[in-house]
Amino acid sequence: MKNLISKYNFWFFSSFTIALIVALPIITVFLSFFSETSNYFTILKNTFLLDYINNSLLILISVLFITFILGVSSAYFISFYEFPLSNFFSWALILAFAIPGYIFAFSIIAFFENYGTAYSILTNVFGEYNYNPHIPKLDGVLGSIIAISFSLFPYVYVLTRSSFFFQSNNYIEVGQNLGLSEKETFLKIILPSARPAIIAGLALVAMECLSDFGTVSIFSVSTLTTGIYNSWISFDDLNSANQISFILLLFILLLLSVEIYSRKEAKYHQPGRGFKPINKIKLNGKKSLLAFSFCLSVFLISFVFPVSQMIYWTIKFPKYIQDINILRINLNTLYLVSLASLVLVFISLFINYGSRISKSKILNYLTNFSISGYAIPGVILAVAFITLFSNLSDLINENTNIGSTKKIFIGSIFGLILAYFVRFFSLSFNGIKSSYEKINNSIDESAYLLGYSKIRTFSKIHIPYLKNNIILIIVLISLEIIKELPITMILRPFNFETFATQAYVYASQDLIEAAALPSLFLISWATILILFSSKYILSQKN
Amino acid sequence: MSKQFFEIKNGNFVASEKNKVNNINLKIENQGEIVSLLGPSGVGKTTILRTIAGLQKLSSGEIFLKNKLISSNMTHIEPEKRNIALSFQDNSLFPNYKVIDNINFGKKRANGSGSIIDVNEIIKLLHIEPILDKFPHQISAGEAQRVSLARSLMSKPDLLLLDEPFSNIDQSLKDEIQVSVKKLLKRINLTTIIVTHDSYEAFSMADKCGIILNQELKQYDVPYNVHHEPNSIEIANFLNKGVFIDVKIIDSECAVHKLKHKELGEIRGKLSNKFPSGSNVKLLLQPEDLIHDDQSKLKLEVVDRKFRGTNFIYTLKTKNGEHLPVFVHSHHIHQHEKSENFGIKSPIYIDHLVCF
Repeated sequence: MKNLISKYNFWFFSSFTIALIVALPIITVFLSFFSETSNYFTILKNTFLLDYINNSLLILISVLFITFILGVSSAYFISFYEFPLSNFFSWALILAFAIPGYIFAFSIIAFFENYGTAYSILTNVFGEYNYNPHIPKLDGVLGSIIAISFSLFPYVYVLTRSSFFFQSNNYIEVGQNLGLSEKETFLKIILPSARPAIIAGLALVAMECLSDFGTVSIFSVSTLTTGIYNSWISFDDLNSANQISFILLLFILLLLSVEIYSRKEAKYHQPGRGFKPINKIKLNGKKSLLAFSFCLSVFLISFVFPVSQMIYWTIKFPKYIQDINILRINLNTLYLVSLASLVLVFISLFINYGSRISKSKILNYLTNFSISGYAIPGVILAVAFITLFSNLSDLINENTNIGSTKKIFIGSIFGLILAYFVRFFSLSFNGIKSSYEKINNSIDESAYLLGYSKIRTFSKIHIPYLKNNIILIIVLISLEIIKELPITMILRPFNFETFATQAYVYASQDLIEAAALPSLFLISWATILILFSSKYILSQKN
Repeated sequence: MSKQFFEIKNGNFVASEKNKVNNINLKIENQGEIVSLLGPSGVGKTTILRTIAGLQKLSSGEIFLKNKLISSNMTHIEPEKRNIALSFQDNSLFPNYKVIDNINFGKKRANGSGSIIDVNEIIKLLHIEPILDKFPHQISAGEAQRVSLARSLMSKPDLLLLDEPFSNIDQSLKDEIQVSVKKLLKRINLTTIIVTHDSYEAFSMADKCGIILNQELKQYDVPYNVHHEPNSIEIANFLNKGVFIDVKIIDSECAVHKLKHKELGEIRGKLSNKFPSGSNVKLLLQPEDLIHDDQSKLKLEVVDRKFRGTNFIYTLKTKNGEHLPVFVHSHHIHQHEKSENFGIKSPIYIDHLVCF
């Protein structure tokens, strides 16, 4: 009995509650699969559902191929060779993280549309002529593939680069000593040992790609995510939305397991004590030009192109500067970011500390389950939230006199923070955990033996040690929230705009030029945050 | 109520199913005594220390410190309230504080009631001066161990627990530090329990030594007796100081007891255990028991020779196939090669006749 009480203590119930909060949207989606299907879903099943799946898979496969080429090639050039600006490219390529797919989509549309930027450039350079028929139209599926690929390739780049970077020169030297050529060393030693990291990067790309809502929506491509959104917003059919979510979740969970497995494998390839950094080879002539041109092109297309396009539009259409209440949006963003970071960091610290001192296996399983939230696409999460809290409100309404409780969770800051919590808890929890695990248990025990209580050990030893990490986690959460679109779009209070929602709302009203200013602000904020955390992002071993 | 400074009564210590030590009874009568617990790795020595420190609960039994019950299956005083310091084997320094700050953490203990020690003296004694401004990740494992020891000493504990305290320290510095630490502990009268798997360390540091084997405390005695009069074959085997040979007790009644070996002949000395005359027993023969004598008629064949710095260890073979170790000072006038005959002083006299 005493053991039972000590096992199911305060920490257990806290972790259980958090795991339950994260699990509820998943459970809602899974339960909806078994509920009655509406006419709309039957029609959908017989008509467009296959298209949704086909488009999603076509985009997914193409994006995986392009991100693999972009990410692995740039990581290879930067890790093993010295060429002009190679050090600059090593961090500049991650700036593409600041450009969400939907902003890249605005830029593509703006550049290639009739009488768009490409047309203006050609007119200015070569004079008046009807260039429109000669300018390629990158829209629909092709546009989505390009936009998503250039916004997601940094995942593959960062993980592959660090895997290359942390390969000990000893292996390369041993390979050469055994008679392998440079090419054979790369193909037989370097690439196989980077494989888990590359797969982990591609799995992340795949999950983000399947979750993408903004880009495909801007290009009017019907995929599973837009299907979910349309079922809810156009046909007011939450059940159908959840049933499509179920199909999407199956894909995502499969990818999640691939990603987790690959990360575990990647750990075996991390350097030990005898680690010797790689000696970079200095490139000359054509080879140097090739590496430089490749990295420069990737940098220009992924970052400079969308940024210039947004700056160009903002200058070209100055009237929107007055129309948009940019101060209000800045304050809204700051408000959301501060509140969400505070809640996430506080609870992550709390649960990490609880797991640490209680050393319960059940607690570990629960927290591991809680971090699965990051795999749930924002749009599924938002629709599942609405389903859950609508049902809950109806249930309360039927049985009590309290009235509707929907407003507490849907269209409120509280609901929004709750959804962000589910989505980003893993980022925050794992970020703190990875740093916490570096504090050996005997350090806590030493503190106790020196007369320090658990609370004093936490405040005097843990917090000072975790301080930098906490700041970094806040930066990363902020970056994610600033870019986040579907959750904010669906669950925000009426008239509450962030840069992402403001840009999307204008774009969906065919006022893409008006989306430039909020997009530019979003990119600026994100760039600052990325530069602040670039050292950490690039030093990630796994 | 116990009247010892420290006492474990019927203590059962459990860390896991495999890692447990049963029915330990151990007393430290006077403050300032140093006790070592010796045993192979993984036998549960650290579990005992962690339980005494309060980091693990005592499965059953009782632990008293200064006549106060600190652990039993009903009582568990939290580690921060015990005033017991434990210096861990691995690096347990606070990673975000410099070495000097880590040491000063010890000083901040609120309820320390042990002897006051000068921080500068400890720093000097443990050779920590050059690394005071470094962070733990910038120092070696041996240095970290010394800092950890300094921090524990500074906390003015009633009882100091040291878990393999010198295992990472360079051999050249180890002997000097062992001597200095022992002197200091004696001077400040700090009761200490040292856990180690190194018998030289256990014997040289401690007033009393406990041997833990097969989940039990097998012997608890002064180091001299543990070495010369191990109370079981398994302890003798663990200390690995000799071999067992078959002998017959000729006379166990006189002041000098007599045994007989088929080839070595008569062996004289004092039996540590009582056996009736005529018994066939196994005698522990340690390398220092046989004395080399070129003039002796008792000769055995050399089958191996190892150079150990101060000594050579010769392995001699009897006709029966027994292999006997013998120390010979390395400055001895000549050396014997393999297959040569090697003379042994006869009759053989051994102070402690350890038989089973």
